Amino acid sequence: MNVTRRDFLKTTAAGAAALSAPAILSGRAWAARDKELNILCWEGYNSADVLDPFRSAHDATVKAESLTNDPTMINRLRAGETNVWDLINVNNPWARKVMYPEGLIKPLDRATFEPYFDKMLPMFKPPYKWAMSDDGKELLGMCQRFGPYSFVVNTKKVSRKTAEDQGWDLWNDPANAGKYGILESDDWNVFDIFLIAGINPFVTHSDADFEKFDTTAKKVFKGAKVVGDIATMNQALISGEINFHMTGGTYSASPARFDGYPEIRGVTPLKSAIPGKGGVSWIEVTSTVANPQLSPLATQFLEYVQDPKVAHTVAFAEGTFNPVAQMANKKCFELFTKEELDAIQWDSLDEEMERSAEYDIVPDYDRALDLMTAAKREASGG
Amino acid sequence: MTTADASEALPPRAIARRRLRLRAGPLLSLPLLLLLAVGFLAPLLAVLGFSFSEPRSFALLAHPTLENYETIFDPANTVYMSFLWSLWFAFLSVCILAVVSYPVAYGLAKLFGRWANLITLLMVFPLFISENVRLYGWVLFFIKNGVLDGGLRSLFGFGIGDLLFTPGIIVFGMVYTYLPFMLFPMTLGLSMVPQEAVEAAGDLGASRLQIFREVELPLSLPGIIIGALLTFVLSVGAIAESKVLGGQAVIVITHDIEIAFTYAQNWPLGAALAVLLMLVVGALVLTVLRHLDLDRILGRR
Repeated sequence: MNVTRRDFLKTTAAGAAALSAPAILSGRAWAARDKELNILCWEGYNSADVLDPFRSAHDATVKAESLTNDPTMINRLRAGETNVWDLINVNNPWARKVMYPEGLIKPLDRATFEPYFDKMLPMFKPPYKWAMSDDGKELLGMCQRFGPYSFVVNTKKVSRKTAEDQGWDLWNDPANAGKYGILESDDWNVFDIFLIAGINPFVTHSDADFEKFDTTAKKVFKGAKVVGDIATMNQALISGEINFHMTGGTYSASPARFDGYPEIRGVTPLKSAIPGKGGVSWIEVTSTVANPQLSPLATQFLEYVQDPKVAHTVAFAEGTFNPVAQMANKKCFELFTKEELDAIQWDSLDEEMERSAEYDIVPDYDRALDLMTAAKREASGG
Repeated sequence: MTTADASEALPPRAIARRRLRLRAGPLLSLPLLLLLAVGFLAPLLAVLGFSFSEPRSFALLAHPTLENYETIFDPANTVYMSFLWSLWFAFLSVCILAVVSYPVAYGLAKLFGRWANLITLLMVFPLFISENVRLYGWVLFFIKNGVLDGGLRSLFGFGIGDLLFTPGIIVFGMVYTYLPFMLFPMTLGLSMVPQEAVEAAGDLGASRLQIFREVELPLSLPGIIIGALLTFVLSVGAIAESKVLGGQAVIVITHDIEIAFTYAQNWPLGAALAVLLMLVVGALVLTVLRHLDLDRILGRR
């Protein structure tokens, strides 16, 4: 092959241009972020129904990436992606206990955003604990979706009353081996294994507690018919492969209920090892990332989703269906049809939230997760 | 005549042209080398670096340690089970794929004629659809009261029992997913067996079985080995089959790595597991490649 100097220069110029293109683009992005917004979230906020009106109104490029566990999202920020994202949407404890102390998020202007909490359901009355910094001075995020999250039963196989009364002991009954599934959500599964073992998950644990946790984890995973995602759990409940599954609630059961299977129901037990509570609930907090070039659209988006119509769209965006804090507003509540209210178990929402401890960080989570992972491994092959 | 002699005999412009020609290769490959360095080598080095970082830390090599490897090799740690399951599943998948693919590859290379293109297209077509979507399709097919079980029950009054969420179905998923990766190298290998050699063996009195054993199989072996290597590496790294079809009935090593990187927030441990997996698979692949003549497979000789 004969290569002339001209050919060589042309080739290298093209190569250099190709290599430098991302740098040029990101440079441009740095220069003007007023038309760009990047959201790291649970599914729902990435729905076109939610984002498109905002995109049109602001003539903006809005990208949203959805993930299905909090630790992965937080790791993305820790890995240096604070330069990329403007908003992060995770469960309640992470903002005040992890992300703010680690400098991964920025506080919001209290004067602008706190009034929105006054219009939310009573449990969010400001200053709402999970939206505030530990010292109670800074507002760290906005709330919207929430729900009880303990376990799900097929009421045709296990009645709601039996499930509520028997509670976590359903998994301690040897007769139930092979009849239940486990939702793949390891952080929640740690809580639930503790609860099945009769131990409060949200306290520091003794060696004896861990011994019991270990035995329980081995037993529970050995007896599981299937471990999988929400779609698999709902499919297995409907088909009769399983009668109930550990870890789940409105969030996971609502798609099946909305699809015409009201017998699939999230249940919060009447009692558990958590004093005065039977199960666990979650509340999402959406915060502005500590991005050195934070898009001005980030705070505008947080205000945009407070609108009754948008809040309803968020509640019934693709994937899962959930109650939203903005349902306290009559204009928002009226947008929910009877079928939608049934899907999110509106009839028992208040009592279930009342009976649920709020999602918190397990102080010795790492040790528990290692034991649980080993238990899963040991159960491999049946 | 030596090279030096040749250079001395050439006019200066010819020498310059020749030098430029010699440099053209490395120069033109520079953009690709850079891309590989940034896109391929750098992430691998980062994984390697993380594997020597402090457990559950996010700082690369702030305090280098062997602790992650010590954790993995601790006799009390059961992660070896995940390694063994992955290797066992990969081995089983490769064996089944070899047996299943050979007749189809033989047909594609020797028998199907003008239908071969259509059959190839049918084999390739599933690759256009996401692997997860295809696996969920199989879940609906195999699930209790699903397409197969429900169909059999309504037609014949009996079902299939527990097929889904078992180790067997995971192997089925791997065989299904990686079939094209065994089939096509195998077809290539078989199409390189000269028809004259087969005919000559027949003329010399070899039976059909002898022709297969002594002519077709050895001559098509490079294609089979390439297919086996490809499917082994893919199967060892598979995760969706055990999660979707297997319902996590078995925790494979890639699942352990995923847990370390996500819920456990222990990148260094995940990185150490990934490095060990690469070493195990790399050693196996290199051992096989040492006995394989790539030039011959590619038909250069």
